[in-house]
Amino acid sequence: MFHTVRRHLIAGSTCIAALMPLSLWAQEAVFVFGSSEVGIPNYNPLTAVNTNAAFTMIYDTLIEQDGDLSFHPHLAESWEEAADGKSWVFHLKPGVKFHNGDPLTADTIVQWIGMFRSSENSYMIDNVEKVEAIDDLTAKFVMKNPDPNLLYNLSSSFMAIPNPRVVTELGEDYGITEAVGTGPFKLESFTLGQETVLVRNDDYAWASPLAENQGPPHLAKLTFREIPEDSTAFLELKSGGVDALLSLPTDYLGEIAAEPSLALAKIPGQEVYYMPINVTKEPFTDIKVRQAAALAINQDEILKNVFSSYGQVAHNFLISALPESKIDPALDISFDPDKANALLDEAGWVKGADGIREKDGKKLTVALWTQSDSVFRRLTEVVQAELKTVGFDPQIQTFDSSVIRDEYKKGEQQLAVRSYFWNNADIVDWFFGGDRVGYPNISMFNDPKAEELRAKAMTGSATQEERVANFLAYHAYVTSQFPYAPIYQPEQNMAFNKDRLVVPEVIHGNSVTGTVVQDISVKE
Amino acid sequence: MLSYLIKRILLLAPVFLAVSAVIFLILHLIPGDPVDNLLKVGSSASKRAEIEARYGLDRPLIVQYGMWLGNVLQGDLGTSIVTRRPVSQLIGQTLPHSLQLGGLALLLSSVVGILLGVVAARARDRWPDRLVMGGVLLGSTLPSFWIGLILILVFSVQLGWFPVSGARGWSSLVLPVITIGLGGIALVARVTRVAMIDTAGRDFVLLLHAKGLPPSRILWRHVLRHAMIPVVTILALRIGWILGGAVTVEYVFARPGIGTTLIKALNQHDYPVVQACLLMLAIAVMLGTLLGDIIQALMDPRVREAIA
Amino acid sequence: MSLPRALSPVVRAAKTPMGAIAGLWLVLIIAVAILAPLIAPYAYDAQNLPASFQPPSSAHLLGTDEFGRDLLTRIIYGARTSLSVSVISIAISVFAGMVLGAAAGYVGGAFDRAVTIVVDLSWSFPEILVALILVAIIGPGVTGTMAAICVAYLAQFTRLTRSQILAIRSETYIEAARSLGAGGRFILFRHLLPNALAPVLVAGMLATGDAIILEATLGFFGLGAQPPLPSWGSMMSSGSALLFKAPWIIILPGLAVAITVVAINLFGDALIGALDIKTRLREA
Repeated sequence: MFHTVRRHLIAGSTCIAALMPLSLWAQEAVFVFGSSEVGIPNYNPLTAVNTNAAFTMIYDTLIEQDGDLSFHPHLAESWEEAADGKSWVFHLKPGVKFHNGDPLTADTIVQWIGMFRSSENSYMIDNVEKVEAIDDLTAKFVMKNPDPNLLYNLSSSFMAIPNPRVVTELGEDYGITEAVGTGPFKLESFTLGQETVLVRNDDYAWASPLAENQGPPHLAKLTFREIPEDSTAFLELKSGGVDALLSLPTDYLGEIAAEPSLALAKIPGQEVYYMPINVTKEPFTDIKVRQAAALAINQDEILKNVFSSYGQVAHNFLISALPESKIDPALDISFDPDKANALLDEAGWVKGADGIREKDGKKLTVALWTQSDSVFRRLTEVVQAELKTVGFDPQIQTFDSSVIRDEYKKGEQQLAVRSYFWNNADIVDWFFGGDRVGYPNISMFNDPKAEELRAKAMTGSATQEERVANFLAYHAYVTSQFPYAPIYQPEQNMAFNKDRLVVPEVIHGNSVTGTVVQDISVKE
Repeated sequence: MLSYLIKRILLLAPVFLAVSAVIFLILHLIPGDPVDNLLKVGSSASKRAEIEARYGLDRPLIVQYGMWLGNVLQGDLGTSIVTRRPVSQLIGQTLPHSLQLGGLALLLSSVVGILLGVVAARARDRWPDRLVMGGVLLGSTLPSFWIGLILILVFSVQLGWFPVSGARGWSSLVLPVITIGLGGIALVARVTRVAMIDTAGRDFVLLLHAKGLPPSRILWRHVLRHAMIPVVTILALRIGWILGGAVTVEYVFARPGIGTTLIKALNQHDYPVVQACLLMLAIAVMLGTLLGDIIQALMDPRVREAIA
Repeated sequence: MSLPRALSPVVRAAKTPMGAIAGLWLVLIIAVAILAPLIAPYAYDAQNLPASFQPPSSAHLLGTDEFGRDLLTRIIYGARTSLSVSVISIAISVFAGMVLGAAAGYVGGAFDRAVTIVVDLSWSFPEILVALILVAIIGPGVTGTMAAICVAYLAQFTRLTRSQILAIRSETYIEAARSLGAGGRFILFRHLLPNALAPVLVAGMLATGDAIILEATLGFFGLGAQPPLPSWGSMMSSGSALLFKAPWIIILPGLAVAITVVAINLFGDALIGALDIKTRLREA
């Protein structure tokens, strides 16, 4: 009985679907950005403070990074580093053209790096003295200091290469109505906060060797929708309204198995959830209280119950794929409620009848900040309950994700629950550097010994090995001072409709980039 | 009538001035400095001053208000502080969605509401009346976001009939329109019922009955026509209320529109966008009130005389 | 007005069938709210993560939420938050509205005109908009919500009180009192306000229902009571992400809101009938 009814309803829904002006035709696909990627104001990599996947479709980078953190050619066919690390030579792929027909040459690189000096992320080329065009297809980067991290920076979506001439011509309008790169897709239209429509670049013949398809992409039209609410996005995927979610929230991983039409593509994780601790705010000026708060976080419980055992726990600040995350295990931060209680006793905080600790008549009430996305709200409520078990009284304050940055700048927070997306050890410098106190250093951590180790790590490393060793020392010292508590490392999952899309078995890239989309097609 | 119309429209000017001043002032009470959004970490004070000057944030409030109002009257709603795009462009993109949603909801409310109201009035105090009035009570008391969620649960998640969100074709309009419409139907049905019962007892109706006209003709031609005055007036006066309901419903269904834009801009402290959204809603409210007054005046000469 | 006389319409309202059912529910839910700590089976913030998303069972009569907290307990405490926020803020709003409205109606002149303009303006704006803007100014949480509700409904009570005062002012017995040499203040407090009281109080009661919905809506936006404190609205804000996983988490608090608001309206209607003030309310 139930089945008959159900079949009728399905028939009804197909009728409706047929009438919908959806792009269900051949080689057209609709993707949904991950919730951390919504709200990009424009497609200008030179002004971006945040990028989304479409950047990597419109633009190419000199270097491409795979999920295993190895580097591969893209617009640069090959490169050499001088023995002393004081210069790099990049050989550009011939025949590369921008969407408007302009050729990409070494001069383009010179102009672009010049413009990048005043971008939001200019720190990425702080070690670069200047760039010279040796010939049309050879660019030489002259370094102030050796920088083993240059390849990483050049592979970042912030260092995607726009057409410098068009950027200058359009000024503030660049990236809104027009965005000109060399990438596999051209920007057709962009509606802020709603959708970005891309069409195939039919001239594309310079894909990274990481992609199997070296010609133009299979997809003729690719629409990215922005859906801020996770549940809505998942329901859209389930009901066939969209073809893929670039980043499936962990909540819904279990649901994928139950849906025969849905499948997952796994990408190595780059995200770490953590709890910054403001070292300048009472009672966290006391390192014992900081350590107690950090030890109260039950990483295993959170992994199992909040994230259904997908991903892994975090015991320090970096994703575990990075060699710099392998600090002395004794320094790793793990759940230890007995020690947390003992530390708080030692620090003079006495448990009251209601379980809340007190010292000199003051309760251990602390502000715990979080942002409005549902995963943060949930995780923060669990963290609140865990801190309560050792005698803290955390008060949650929720801010809109887009303004919480401004709120942090005021420095009123004590604890917060946050996450970052990055797969390089220099993130320790970004969040704990003494000259970035306020924001992004919302732990307000400024320690002379840390600064010394930091300078060595950032500018004093001639080789990759030296850099790893220097960052290990810096990362380990910062962790020993408890300006944060590590929580969780998610894995990245693209969820897609396998009745509609063909997606390669192994994703080559650290996210769903233009290179990855090269090999995605619609089932005919 | 013409002079009444002109007077009534002229009366809107001071109201508009007052509303715009309130909208402008209130937003400067919201904490959070939008300039922080635009500044790189560690930017110098001079860079800050430059940005403040660019957006006119360094001038006295009254000057800022004057500048803003002057621009608004020329159709320039300013530049969004967060997206750095013209606000009028943003409004141009989102307003049609809201108008479509609001217009359809209004249509649904009036058609279904009037029908139900007539049915209830004809069957006064019998079961159809009680049924309708019970439904009306529910329709006007259930939170609209909850109705929206339940509709999504049933019709999108369980049955898969309609899309969950967005604004892609007519099928994505069905659930939001019903969600907003339920409140409107309840309101219209209630007013129609009372007005019908009221009118049915008037002398002229009794006279028509005495003349021997068929009761259905009296009902549909005379009573309903007369009863429509308060119904239409209430509908016009409540346009703002319907748009207000749309704010919540747009959010639930993740539809583009003035409501979602407003909520996002409020959270982002994007003053120019918030101001523009509120202004659009205020204009809708004022036009609704004007429409209601005009209809009332058309029907009731005493109001016209009082104004003239 | 002596107390028994003031209560007699309530008793009469409770004697109508609809009034009785509605009244019973209201008494029940108010008792639940007051006695929450005594009757709730669990602590409202007691998490039990492995037991999350449980459907109704004997251990958890209404199931558990995403943190394994008992839903019945949360709804009981939610009643406490939602009702107290709505009742207290409407009470303040009624009081302020009566003062403003009485002053405007009694003093008249430019003051009256100014009040009327402001009130008319804000009255034509949807309450949810006024509330959203106020919460943006004050900040989310119980205080912000209460302030938002107070202000959002202030116009309604001011308008109603003013019109009542104006209507009663011209009645013969006031004229008589005045001609007998009664002072202005005496007339205002002895005659005008007590007679305007009943309709305003009933309007206040009906508005409490609307305020519960407004509180729920703000809570749904995440702007109401902050976690772990439950309110009916904020319970639904965390539930919305879990619509198909555990729909009862949002259905149940929604039902609590719906039944309570319907009950308030039914009882309010019965009270209007008992007080015979229908026309006076409609005039406003």
